[in-house]
Amino acid sequence: MENIYLPYLAEIIDIKQETPDVKTFRLKFNDGEIEHSFDYKPGQFVEFSIFGEGEAPFCISNSPTRKSGIECSVKRMGKITQALHELDTGDTVGIRGPYGNGFPIEDLKNKNLLFVAGGIGLAPLRSLINYCLDNRGDFKSITIVNGARTSKDLVYKNEYQAWEKAKDTKLYLTVDCQEENWTCMVGVVPKILEQLKPTCKDSVVIVCGPPIMIKFTVPVLLKIGFCPEAIITTLEMKMKCGLGKCGRCNIGNLYVCKDGPVFTYTQLEALRYEF
Amino acid sequence: MIQKIVTKEELYKLLDSFLQDFEAIGPKELANRGIFYEIIKNAQDLYLGDDFTTEPVKKLFLSPSEWLFKCQYKDSKNSLEEIVLTKTKRIIIGVRPCEARGLELLDKVYNSEYKDESYVNNRNRTVIIGLSCANPDRNCFCTSMGGSNVESRGTDAILFATEGSPERSRGDKDGKFILEIITDKGKEILGSIGRELSEEEKKHWQQDKEKRKDLVKTKIKVPEDLDKIFEDPYWEQVSKSCLSCGICTYLCPTCHCFDLVDEERKRLRCYDGCAFVDFTLQASGENPRPTKKERYRQRVFHKFDYFKKKFGENLCVGCGRCIRYCPVKIDISEIVDKASI
Amino acid sequence: MIIGYQRASDGVLAMPCFVEREEDVDKLIWDVYCVYNLSNYLKDFPGKKIGIIAKPCDVKSIVVLLQENQLRRENVYIIGVECAGVIDEKRLRLGAKDIQESATFGAKCKSCKSSTPSICDRLFEDKEKKGKISEDKDEYESVRKLEAKSALERLKFWEEEFSRCIRCYACRQVCPMCYCPKCVADQTMPAWFSKGANLKGNLSWNLIRAIHLGGRCIDCGECERACPVGIPLGELNKKIEKDIKELFKYEAGANVEQKPLLASFDKDDPGDWIK
Repeated sequence: MENIYLPYLAEIIDIKQETPDVKTFRLKFNDGEIEHSFDYKPGQFVEFSIFGEGEAPFCISNSPTRKSGIECSVKRMGKITQALHELDTGDTVGIRGPYGNGFPIEDLKNKNLLFVAGGIGLAPLRSLINYCLDNRGDFKSITIVNGARTSKDLVYKNEYQAWEKAKDTKLYLTVDCQEENWTCMVGVVPKILEQLKPTCKDSVVIVCGPPIMIKFTVPVLLKIGFCPEAIITTLEMKMKCGLGKCGRCNIGNLYVCKDGPVFTYTQLEALRYEF
Repeated sequence: MIQKIVTKEELYKLLDSFLQDFEAIGPKELANRGIFYEIIKNAQDLYLGDDFTTEPVKKLFLSPSEWLFKCQYKDSKNSLEEIVLTKTKRIIIGVRPCEARGLELLDKVYNSEYKDESYVNNRNRTVIIGLSCANPDRNCFCTSMGGSNVESRGTDAILFATEGSPERSRGDKDGKFILEIITDKGKEILGSIGRELSEEEKKHWQQDKEKRKDLVKTKIKVPEDLDKIFEDPYWEQVSKSCLSCGICTYLCPTCHCFDLVDEERKRLRCYDGCAFVDFTLQASGENPRPTKKERYRQRVFHKFDYFKKKFGENLCVGCGRCIRYCPVKIDISEIVDKASI
Repeated sequence: MIIGYQRASDGVLAMPCFVEREEDVDKLIWDVYCVYNLSNYLKDFPGKKIGIIAKPCDVKSIVVLLQENQLRRENVYIIGVECAGVIDEKRLRLGAKDIQESATFGAKCKSCKSSTPSICDRLFEDKEKKGKISEDKDEYESVRKLEAKSALERLKFWEEEFSRCIRCYACRQVCPMCYCPKCVADQTMPAWFSKGANLKGNLSWNLIRAIHLGGRCIDCGECERACPVGIPLGELNKKIEKDIKELFKYEAGANVEQKPLLASFDKDDPGDWIK
């Protein structure tokens, strides 16, 4: 029997400073076999160990179709993320996973996709966006609405050009307040959606961001005409074991680490507001 | 099932003979402190009377503080050293039926999908000898939670005190026990002692056992679907005096939440509980359960709703420890019983 | 709101009662089973005016809270009760099967100096004039017994006791003086001592808490009563209380006009150890 709490060892091979407090880490497993066989779905997460400091869950932000190691984007918030930000390339970390249910790819096929992201919320969506673009024929139009507080807080800036150029794909960037040299949209994400009025016909919307953004965005989406079944989000809860054992991440009788973190709004509506 | 009658002397002599090859653990009385599961060096030290242990037997399977692996840095390389699980066989004697049932409920979490190595190893190397409750107190409500004080589920063998009337049975000094051997493991250990009951005695015993269930006076009814009253102000009312400590969680035979922390480059798994204020506190500062109402409601719902929906049984065995030891006497059995729909 | 006592579900013991409506006043009781120090709940209602039923020992903790500016005098309406002693709930739980049979009074009651609260807004007198059950015992008798042991014997004693500690933090939660918004035990940056229930961590936790209560603990006995594994916490707190009395002639909670001992400096403070 294997020890389910034992992580694989991995080395940090690249660190990219996305914003003042967000770094993207690219990792390669020490064991070549694991490196080869590690597979995951967009939307799944890993339990990231910084030995001596602790373990925290982060979603995998690169698509499984572009495997050059796994990437995690981390915002500096508390003890473990602080320690992680102080690491350098060549340092060893631990990875357990992949855990979670991932995005329901089958339900997205042949649909118009609307991606709505706020701040670091773009991380899990990037994995799915690039997956869809690499399997472009399976999906209809793609619209990406990405918002942040300021232009400095926008992540994955190096992806935007490729996304704009992709077939039948539109990208809208927005910041909360007008800035110097800012030529894209201005306004919080819910307001931008009201302006854009994206089509809800044959569409699925995948939204991810801070709880307050989701709270105000979902009513706008419902007003536009999206039905709860077509609104997909990925939740962030304090998760520890990732295995549905430690009892921390449950909302009702669902565990965010096992039955989620991807949920439809229909599922969330049925759950009580405890997230 | 083999049913025998054994004397205390026989039983103790047999246990003493096992101390060479097995680790024997049983209840021991600590004056003015309580009764605790301790390693037994001499069968005479055992306490097999009426009072209950403070901590449930769960602690011997799911350790309160256990390290899972160590990270070493040697020759400029990082490597992980796993714990070496002990293979020592052990006997735990004096386990109450409610606690043994609790282990079966824990199996659904720790011995199903993603088996917990340490827990499963502990389950496999242990023989459980139960002790039926001859004197349940007013906090016990096991018969309302699908079990009883005479149930053998979860044990390899179970002892029933017989001296005197059931109310005052203490199985002490010259006492006799009825011994029911349930599994092969139990037969291996206890098969050699005692005399098998005659057919007449077995019939008598069956009736006696049924009557003993009546000793559990408190009976409650768990509402079918608690979910309907999730938003009811009832939860704010009943949780007002809760202290948000960890007693009910840590002393519960079925509570199993834990935390994973790194200390001195070791990954430690230690007990944790939903009653604590920062159990669900996120690094961003958000806390989905900021007040006592949400946390107490979570406790009740996890035990009497969520677990039932997932596994078909309530995550409570009615042992009454949470009520007995709650510093402010919050009675979960009364709270659930009165939760009207 | 008034905080008082009501009958517990077993029909014998008492439990806290929060009266907000007139019709609930009938729930209130007063007898020898009213053991709890209800002033612990005052910190749950900051800024609100709360009435509280308080025994003379409970009033001492209200005095300390006032001294430490955790309460405003005008926000707490003290309903004092003349008390002739309350039962020792811990001994009850460990000893008797039939509660009424062996209701015994606690050690703190046997050495109680006063049956009337030092401050209150309204006093309920003891009609039966039962008088104190105090036996004028030396309140430090058991502390002296421990002091007489050698340092090694004392270490062995406390190591044995604290090896049973399960880190439930009931001692902290039940204590009116433990009101730190982020307890030292819960801090992660840095983590001051082990979170697990191992001897090292247990010693650290319990000793640190005892020191934090130095000069503030009024010996309500709640921590020892609440401890599920029967650790004699009172001995530790009383030892520090004794030392403080001898060194500084100070008694916690005796006089609301006094400044908290360890938070104030007096030029006459002993200083001969400063070289």
